[in-house]
Amino acid sequence: MVITAATEPKRAHVAAPVVDVLSDDPTQRPPLMTGENDFTSITDDVCGIAEREATPRAWYIAFAASVTGMTVMFAMLGYLIFNGVGVWGNNQPVAWGWPIVNFVFWVGIGHAGTLISAILFLFRQGWRTSINRFAEAMTIFAVCCAGIFPAVHIGRVWMAYYLFPIPNQMEMWPNFRSPLLWDVFAVSAYALTSLMFWYMGMIPDLATLRDRAKGKVRQIAYGIASMGWTGSARQWHRYEKAYLLLAGLATPLVLSVHSVVSFDFAVSQVPGWHTTIFPPYFVAGAIFSGFAMVVTLMIPARQFFGLKHLVTMKHLEIMCKIILATGMMVGYAYAIEFFIAWYGGNPYERFAFINRAMGPYAWAYWTMATCNVLVPQLFWFKKLRTNLWVMMGVCILVNVGMWFERFVITVISLSRDFLPSSWDYFKPTAVDVLTFAGSFGLFFTLFLLFCRYLPMVAMAEVKTVLPQAHAGHGLHAEEPAR
Amino acid sequence: MSAHHHVSAPERTRVTPSGLAGRGRLATLFGAALCVLAVVLGFVQEEGMARLQHGWLLAVTFFVTLGLGGLFFVLVQYLVRAGWSVVVRRLAEHLAGSLPLMGLLLLPVVIPTLFGNGQLYHWADPHELAESHLLQEKAPYLNGWFLLVRVAIYVGVWTLLVRAFNRRSLAQDDTGDPSMTIWMQKRAAPSVLAFALTLTFFAFDMLMSLSYEWFSTIFGVYVFAGSAVALFATLVLLALRFEGRGELRGIVTTEHYHDLGKLLFAFVFFWGYIAFSQFMLIWYGDIPEETVWFQQRWVGSWKYVSLLLLFGHFLLPFVGLLSRHVKRNRSLLASWAVLLLLMHLVDLYWLIMPTLSPEGASIGLIDFACLSGVGGLFLGGLWRRIDGKPLVPLRDPRLGESLAFQNL
Repeated sequence: MVITAATEPKRAHVAAPVVDVLSDDPTQRPPLMTGENDFTSITDDVCGIAEREATPRAWYIAFAASVTGMTVMFAMLGYLIFNGVGVWGNNQPVAWGWPIVNFVFWVGIGHAGTLISAILFLFRQGWRTSINRFAEAMTIFAVCCAGIFPAVHIGRVWMAYYLFPIPNQMEMWPNFRSPLLWDVFAVSAYALTSLMFWYMGMIPDLATLRDRAKGKVRQIAYGIASMGWTGSARQWHRYEKAYLLLAGLATPLVLSVHSVVSFDFAVSQVPGWHTTIFPPYFVAGAIFSGFAMVVTLMIPARQFFGLKHLVTMKHLEIMCKIILATGMMVGYAYAIEFFIAWYGGNPYERFAFINRAMGPYAWAYWTMATCNVLVPQLFWFKKLRTNLWVMMGVCILVNVGMWFERFVITVISLSRDFLPSSWDYFKPTAVDVLTFAGSFGLFFTLFLLFCRYLPMVAMAEVKTVLPQAHAGHGLHAEEPAR
Repeated sequence: MSAHHHVSAPERTRVTPSGLAGRGRLATLFGAALCVLAVVLGFVQEEGMARLQHGWLLAVTFFVTLGLGGLFFVLVQYLVRAGWSVVVRRLAEHLAGSLPLMGLLLLPVVIPTLFGNGQLYHWADPHELAESHLLQEKAPYLNGWFLLVRVAIYVGVWTLLVRAFNRRSLAQDDTGDPSMTIWMQKRAAPSVLAFALTLTFFAFDMLMSLSYEWFSTIFGVYVFAGSAVALFATLVLLALRFEGRGELRGIVTTEHYHDLGKLLFAFVFFWGYIAFSQFMLIWYGDIPEETVWFQQRWVGSWKYVSLLLLFGHFLLPFVGLLSRHVKRNRSLLASWAVLLLLMHLVDLYWLIMPTLSPEGASIGLIDFACLSGVGGLFLGGLWRRIDGKPLVPLRDPRLGESLAFQNL
């Protein structure tokens, strides 16, 4: 955090009392932020990150590593387009290999942002204000990574526009009855809405950056980006209305995207894919992995950029609780699937599940079950869910587990289908592995740019949950007359 | 934000309903009489026993799901440390309080399975078992004794949870001890887990196994969604009732109705989402062993019941409850609540009755007798529980927050 003498804020004179933000004491609501924050200090702290003159060396190192990864991914994609999908491990019977696994993985990651910005907004969760901008940015970058895989998966990438129902003289239309097409609509609608939500929410903060900007370039860039925001009462009124409406519209999208992704599998008759719990189970899993990624990124970011007083242990603890809750939902779905596979009495379905747990991919299944169901159980203990190292470890494992979940679903069911003579063991190629690894490069490149140039915390929103914004509100009941 | 609030806790005498015990006893007597009438009709009418069992199951599951909804509401309020809902929480506690009795009323449909009576649960019929290979595969799970054990576990868990939470909440009225709240906050998470598992398997056992050859992994979630809709509809109606009587006047305000309305709307949507997921995947997959269940619900007049659910349980209330104006208008909200409560009944009817009358929807005198009989017992218990106890958790640490609550 760089605060020059000129911008040194007049810190609040009222010293914030030392409080335990993690307190579960029902007689009080602990403050959402720690330290002596006021409206000025929050602006200074958040803008200071984007305004610092010299970019820290650590940022350059991380950026170089990310760009390298991204370059590897694009090189692999170029190689793929030049040679065809034969460079992947995909083949009969596993025609859907890593690209689809990676697609579902990244779309899943991209679920936390809109959940935090839309659903938690409707639930009046004030704590979301410290993390929503960050999580929404992560969402958009994850969706960018996700979008690449189905696009290159079609083989002839230059024909990708055929995915969209574009009127044409040949009367050639995509198959509207295919969930793969619904995916195109669901994911692009989600990407557009998330982007709009994120950007609209950022306009007042961009205007703040514009007003504080020193150089011409910054003034013009932030000036264009803030779209003439003046902060008048009328603008705020419309902004709040639009925000509420967008939140309402984005809420069903949080459910619909991963539900439609689950349809890709569940509408088929493949054992292990065709089961009715898939839509809500996929949504729970997506939120699970999305929150794990937010925590994984947030822990180093708040440390590195000096945001510990805005994103407190309380925020992290709540996210860990959500991870535990959604992890249990995922565990519930695993258990019910297993039970119904037995209860249904269909021998193919029974085989599919026994094969998952005891077949040649048992290692993948048990990696998934351990990472997604067992490891998050640590979060039952307050000591562990408020320990940064434990949090970090669990969240990384959750992300590993959620990748394996998609691998288990996609690959295991296909590798042993109805016809034993066509069974095969899927092996990824180096191109598969490098493309996926490189996609993290793209993700982190975008993310580092965001951290460097845009307001990482929604300043305007955070200020509304400061105690100063509610001065004079006593909400305590008197002792009852008895 | 709104202006400064000066909130004072309500007086105990004002929020404590009285004179309900007598009415409660009357309802119990009336209910018991109608239950007897239902049984008599069951013996007298042609094929009456089968209808009696179906009608009884419908009536009991309707009120069990209301109780489960209440339990869910109470647990979740503690789990998420909610403040706004304290003034309506006692109503949900009382609803959940019906679970031990309603659970006991499941025995009349469980015990016949022990004696090979397959009129309700066809899997219990020894002839069916002898002929069906599929059923033999499922017999380790679908057998009378194991069902009895499982139902005892479900009802036992619910009873324990209800007692643990309700007793502490009531005790806090006298002591104002925040450690009660802390105790419940700590136990809320594992309790929700126990709740989810018992509700799921309750739904599998009592409802899904009516067509023992059919299965659906989402079924537990479906029944949960319906229960939540019914709960919020009931909470709205109960709050209005006691606002009218005076106990909750000035305490449950438009703001609370607005929030209850939002949750009602949200769960209408959630129910629609879950129902669609189940239907669409089965329709699209087109596997006969799964589609048969929806096929049965599309035969004859069942088709109209299915369509009624689509419109009455989802599309119409979705549009109807969308507006903020409706959620803040007591009579409009109440009309939607009444409709949705009815639709929950229709939903359970649609789940249960096609095995009784596959040729088309039919309603018998016995169904009404069962419903009003069990309903009388339910209401009798509810009024007696409500009588003489504060209807607002008087010294809940978050009561002030709830009394001063405003939507923005």
